[in-house]
Amino acid sequence: MNSFKEKCYQCSGLLSGLGIVIITLLLLAQIIGRLFGFIVPSAGDFAGYALAASTFLGLAYTFREGGHIRVTLVIQRFSPVPRKIQEAVILTLSLALLCFLSYACSSMVYESYIYDDVSYGYIPVPLWIPQLPMAIGIIALNLAVLDAWIMALRGKTPTYSRHEDALALEEI
Amino acid sequence: AEKWHMPTPYGDGNLPTQIDYAFAKEIKAKTNGELEIVVHSGGSLVKHTEIPRSVKTGQVQIGDIFMGILGNQNPVFKHDNIPFLATSFDQAQALWAAAKPEIEKALDKDGMKLLYAVPWPAQSLYTRNPVNSLADLEGEKMRAYSPSTSRLADLMGTIPTTIQVPDIPQAFSTGIIQAMVTSPSTGVDSQAWDYVNNYTDIKAWIPKDIVIVNKRAFRRLDKNIQDIVLAAAKNAETEGWKRIVERAAKDKATLAENGMTISEPSAELTTQLEAIGKTMETEWTAEAPKEIGRILTRYHQELGQ
Amino acid sequence: MDMTWISILLAVGMLVMLTFGVWVSFTLIAIGGLGLILSENYQVGMLFATGSWGAATSWSLTALPLFIWMGEVLFRTRLSEDLFEGLAPWLGKVPGKLLHVNILSCGIFAAVSGSSAATAATIGRMTLPELRKQGYSERMAIGTLAGSGTLGLLIPPSIILIVYGVAAEVSIARLFIAGALPGLLLICLFMGFTMIWGHLHKDELPSTTTQDTSWSARFKSLGKLLPVTGLIGFVLGSIYGGLTTPTEAAAIGVTGSLILAACTGSLTRQSFIDSLLGAVKSACMIGFILIGAHFLTLAMGFLGIPSALAQWIASLGLSPIVLILYLTVFFVVLGCFLDGISVVVLTVAVVLPMVKSAGIDLLWFGIFIVLVVEMSQITPPVGFNLFVIQSLTGKNILYVAKAALPFFLLIAVAIILITWFPEIVTYLPTTMSKG
Ligand code: NA
Ligand code: NA
Repeated sequence: MNSFKEKCYQCSGLLSGLGIVIITLLLLAQIIGRLFGFIVPSAGDFAGYALAASTFLGLAYTFREGGHIRVTLVIQRFSPVPRKIQEAVILTLSLALLCFLSYACSSMVYESYIYDDVSYGYIPVPLWIPQLPMAIGIIALNLAVLDAWIMALRGKTPTYSRHEDALALEEI
Repeated sequence: AEKWHMPTPYGDGNLPTQIDYAFAKEIKAKTNGELEIVVHSGGSLVKHTEIPRSVKTGQVQIGDIFMGILGNQNPVFKHDNIPFLATSFDQAQALWAAAKPEIEKALDKDGMKLLYAVPWPAQSLYTRNPVNSLADLEGEKMRAYSPSTSRLADLMGTIPTTIQVPDIPQAFSTGIIQAMVTSPSTGVDSQAWDYVNNYTDIKAWIPKDIVIVNKRAFRRLDKNIQDIVLAAAKNAETEGWKRIVERAAKDKATLAENGMTISEPSAELTTQLEAIGKTMETEWTAEAPKEIGRILTRYHQELGQ
Repeated sequence: MDMTWISILLAVGMLVMLTFGVWVSFTLIAIGGLGLILSENYQVGMLFATGSWGAATSWSLTALPLFIWMGEVLFRTRLSEDLFEGLAPWLGKVPGKLLHVNILSCGIFAAVSGSSAATAATIGRMTLPELRKQGYSERMAIGTLAGSGTLGLLIPPSIILIVYGVAAEVSIARLFIAGALPGLLLICLFMGFTMIWGHLHKDELPSTTTQDTSWSARFKSLGKLLPVTGLIGFVLGSIYGGLTTPTEAAAIGVTGSLILAACTGSLTRQSFIDSLLGAVKSACMIGFILIGAHFLTLAMGFLGIPSALAQWIASLGLSPIVLILYLTVFFVVLGCFLDGISVVVLTVAVVLPMVKSAGIDLLWFGIFIVLVVEMSQITPPVGFNLFVIQSLTGKNILYVAKAALPFFLLIAVAIILITWFPEIVTYLPTTMSKG
């Protein structure tokens, strides 16, 4: 179970990285195309889609790695019990927020699908396709927050926090 | 009192946005503040590409868009992007009258209602070197941002090249492109004289912004307020067609004042471009023969009268 | 509810959430949603989804992850050591010593990067560990980095100048050129300050200069600078040689740095994946904060808070100098809570008419706004350079902000200077117009 979870987080990071590679390749293709006089249709649009996919698909990995920034100045000074309560409270709030965002993004993709929305650029792309990674990425982040929430409720320190503490130790 | 939000894609200096402000003001005055429309110009509330969807889903009640961006949804929205189909404001107005029923039908299907349209000045040719015939452009790189501008570049014997709007000045000054087709207003906005010398007034097409409203939001208004909105829309459209003529002249003069060479197309160039126009009209018709056929029939009737 | 109360409630809510350790991006989204609900707009979900989709697919932002990746690749090469060994003989005797490397390399890197976060991340990744190893004052190392990272916005290419140029309808080519001299001015101010500081705090610098500062060593060291200057030449050459646009140049930069890494033997399968995952971590963090800021911006747009503020300022009928003073304060306060791009997008439509009517040159105003936005990058609680440096060093944000404070004040000095001598901004663009 745990190694499966690990693989999922790793997958989130790698897919996001793949998005960055795709942006690079698209821009290079556009430059080379210009040199040799062919057009890479909608390269700008596709680079934008890859950017969105990369940003959203990597959210879960980034969350778990403690990459999302927060102000730890005050909470660091809490003693262990209030600190645990604080962490549980903000994780509960975050979980509620993300459940809502997952719903919102999924319903946008669904609407794009039923309305047959297409992009306005060079190639008419059915919008639900590039939007799908956005919904998947948000849901993945939602699961990552859920994972941390369960850990917090069981009295364990969430993984992101361990990374944050590691950074804090370096400081001294 | 009801409050509507109206995102627009272009900044306050542009005619469509100015007309939108006047439209909102007229409605507020005539309804005694019962309906207030807050204009959010320059994509400040909603990005241009998201405005149609926002209006459709009711996130905002009303919005201003460049009609061409709906061209991939339905080819009838491209009627004002077909090169050399309508090249004067009179022709453009006739084409608009011919296309309006199809546009209204297409919008209605998506839960939206057409209020009014505001034209842009005609799209003309910006080049580094003077152009007397297409031979002067042979093999040069021309900006293309859509299938139809790309096809136009092909037919003109140039190499279509994708450049995103923010990159245009740099692309001209470093020689990535040597030509583009856009309106004198856009030329003035981007201070085209900094990076390109020649403006040939080919008047390729006259695109429009349209203002669309969410059908449910409109239906919820009282009948007398609906009437005020429709009357204001009618005034806005009349005002738009009236003011665009002087605006186009003024923008062209600004280009000249800043040192650009403004020229009329030669007879040879005009003949060559008209032939290209015919080809593209045929190709466009093939995309939706029934609807576009109706537009063209009505358009030629209007012109015939 | 009254708008004043809504504003206060939102500000307090944001402060509380941030204080109690809610992630910045989550906070921005939650406060945005709260703002929408308070303004009786109940389409929160739909507005978030469509707005975020628009923000996340923006063309100008595609360069951001690429420049971050480029930094991660370069971080895994010998470039940081080379940069030090190359610059050290030249700067070893200057008061402040190698702290100037931070400033100069940010200035150089800004010429290929359009964002200040990417500049701070790339250069900081290279220089901070090295400066720490050599025993430099950590606070000053962080301060110089936070300050000069902001050069990424001023020295062309610049994402924020593109945003302003589009919104204010000012030529982007002119704006880019206008940014060059003020950029150099800032570098001079930063270096001048660092020299004075270095002179006064000799105890916080490594006592012995191990570097050989003879002229022969200096010229020998230039060889070390070849890879980095070669890379910048490669990127700038591809822009000015007409091969790429400034936005696409990011891809050239990534390619160049991968080639560089391959040539120096530091490119392996593992280091490639590591660099990519490192880039993912920063790019997703920044990207999601931008999305959150965009959503909050949207909510405030619906509420009309920024436009009400701007109209209030306009109603005071001020002279240009006083207006600039007020606007500086206004932007700095706004910049405490919003990112630079949002500040520009949000206010330009309302502020520009009154700027125009006061007879202020819009080109000049663009550079002014960039300087103010630069200040906002290093003010807490929301400041991108602070976030980037926090994630690089693990130091808390207030520590970073305190370290950056002198540089915040130096940017304010630069604003006074360009107000006094507007030619610093307008000289180059006027000579550029064709003869
Ligand atoms: Na820059
Ligand atoms: Na700030």
